[in-house]
Amino acid sequence: MNRLLWRAFRIGLVLTAVSIAVFPFYWTLRTAVAAPDSVFFKGISLLPDELALDNFTKAWRQADLGEAMLNGALMTVTILVCQLLTCVPAAYAFAKLRFRGRNVLYGLVLACLLVPTQATAIPLYLGIGSVGLGNTWLALVLPFTTSAFGIFLLRQYMVTIPDTLLEAARTDGLGTFSTLRRVVVPMSAPAIATFSVFSIFVHWNDYLWPLLVARDESLRTPPLALATFQQADTGLDYGALSAGAVIITAPIVVLFLIAQRRFVAGIAGGEIPG
Amino acid sequence: MSRPDGRAALALTTPAMALIGLFVLLPGVLAVVGSLFRIDLGKGTRWTWVGLANFADLVADPDVARALLNTVLYCALTIVPSVVIGLALALLAESARRGKGLLRTLLFLPFTANLVAMAVVFRWIFELRGGFANQALAVLGVGPVNYLGDERYALVTVAAVGVWRGAALAMVLFASGLASIPSAVHEAAAADGVTGLAKVRLVTVPLLKPIVLFATVMTTLQAVQVFDTINVMTGGGPLGATETALTMTWRLGFTYFELGKAAALSVLLLAVLITVGVLRRRSMLGGAR
Repeated sequence: MNRLLWRAFRIGLVLTAVSIAVFPFYWTLRTAVAAPDSVFFKGISLLPDELALDNFTKAWRQADLGEAMLNGALMTVTILVCQLLTCVPAAYAFAKLRFRGRNVLYGLVLACLLVPTQATAIPLYLGIGSVGLGNTWLALVLPFTTSAFGIFLLRQYMVTIPDTLLEAARTDGLGTFSTLRRVVVPMSAPAIATFSVFSIFVHWNDYLWPLLVARDESLRTPPLALATFQQADTGLDYGALSAGAVIITAPIVVLFLIAQRRFVAGIAGGEIPG
Repeated sequence: MSRPDGRAALALTTPAMALIGLFVLLPGVLAVVGSLFRIDLGKGTRWTWVGLANFADLVADPDVARALLNTVLYCALTIVPSVVIGLALALLAESARRGKGLLRTLLFLPFTANLVAMAVVFRWIFELRGGFANQALAVLGVGPVNYLGDERYALVTVAAVGVWRGAALAMVLFASGLASIPSAVHEAAAADGVTGLAKVRLVTVPLLKPIVLFATVMTTLQAVQVFDTINVMTGGGPLGATETALTMTWRLGFTYFELGKAAALSVLLLAVLITVGVLRRRSMLGGAR
């Protein structure tokens, strides 16, 4: 009896937690599919009276979401590739090589983790402008070509790769770089997957920096395109905004569903001794 | 490994360190230098040396004190609840018999959200008239609450949104920690008859200690750097009730164009963050040294 109650209590908790987590998404979806007249409603009705897809076509066309998503994808992927190319080698060096100044340099990386992008945004914005890169595609990408967080996350994982394995690679005649490519990278795949998902979330959704440097319509990223519904003179268009939010969030949710298992495996790595 | 790997290390770390220097450290140093000047934009940027006057202005400004106090309150309202709820959610998801992956995905959804769009949705949910939160209260016969318009509730409301998101992040961190506990530990606990809450307290939580620290650091960074949600939901209002250090920096810099003062405020914030970071340094250096 007691166990049954405990089980019911747990199921209740899970349902409550899931509803709270999902409700705002549900609400967005509900608003998106509601016909314009039934967006505002009386009483609590969880379903709109009339269904319509007008908002989706409106969002797609009015905000030029197609172009914005293409821009966003190109920017996000370029950033990710640059970050992996710079972070993976650095993380390996900090995790497994012995060299002078290692702790000082790694301390510097950790200190950078604490620097909010908003705090460096002003000097960065002035600097990018003064070298003539303001309002260009490069300006969207350059500041994020490496990531202190990436180095930190990957190093935490690589530290757990047994040294004996690396020594075996060395006795087999592999140099540092081939060891990195053929042993360390494959073994760190979960952490690399985790970091990739994180990076894609952050840059796909980033609002502040693109807002500062991408003034041209042709440079707009998805969040900037969404913001057009907020700034419209006609006031806030909840229906179109929600439809737009659904469109730009969908690829990210699908990505997480696919990467979910690896993502979860990559964070802790071997941090817990066992 | 016995021989020093100086040259290889140099080649491996230089690209990352050079870019970090250029795009994080240099702007950081510029912010520190800039905080000592009055910076006038316009035809060419003019820098005028003012010494510590920017800092003196900030210290004397009650709005700044309020923004800093709000940042501390926001942290107090979000960090511990996010970590505790995140841990509870991870344990719940782990104990599910089926659909673990789906459950984790659903619970992680808040972290994937586009904050700007979500903040608009939340603004609508918490709207005084017709918002869902008040419609639900009306069913219970409780009068409408002006969640975002009332000075007393606004900060708590934006903090609730922060916990909604922070708990999702903490959940996924703990889920990964739980997944990495070797099955031998579970078997040993079962053999000793340690189950249920006792097992959570005696076995699971102690093993998750490094993740607790990691999750705390991550949620702290998120809390101190809160910006998008507040900017869209309240714009710092009503009457500065939700103004935090970063929204204030932003307003000083890009609304009033007081770049020197904005830089000074970010320097103050950075100093606080680095102090916190140094205190937490040992947890972040975790693993073999």
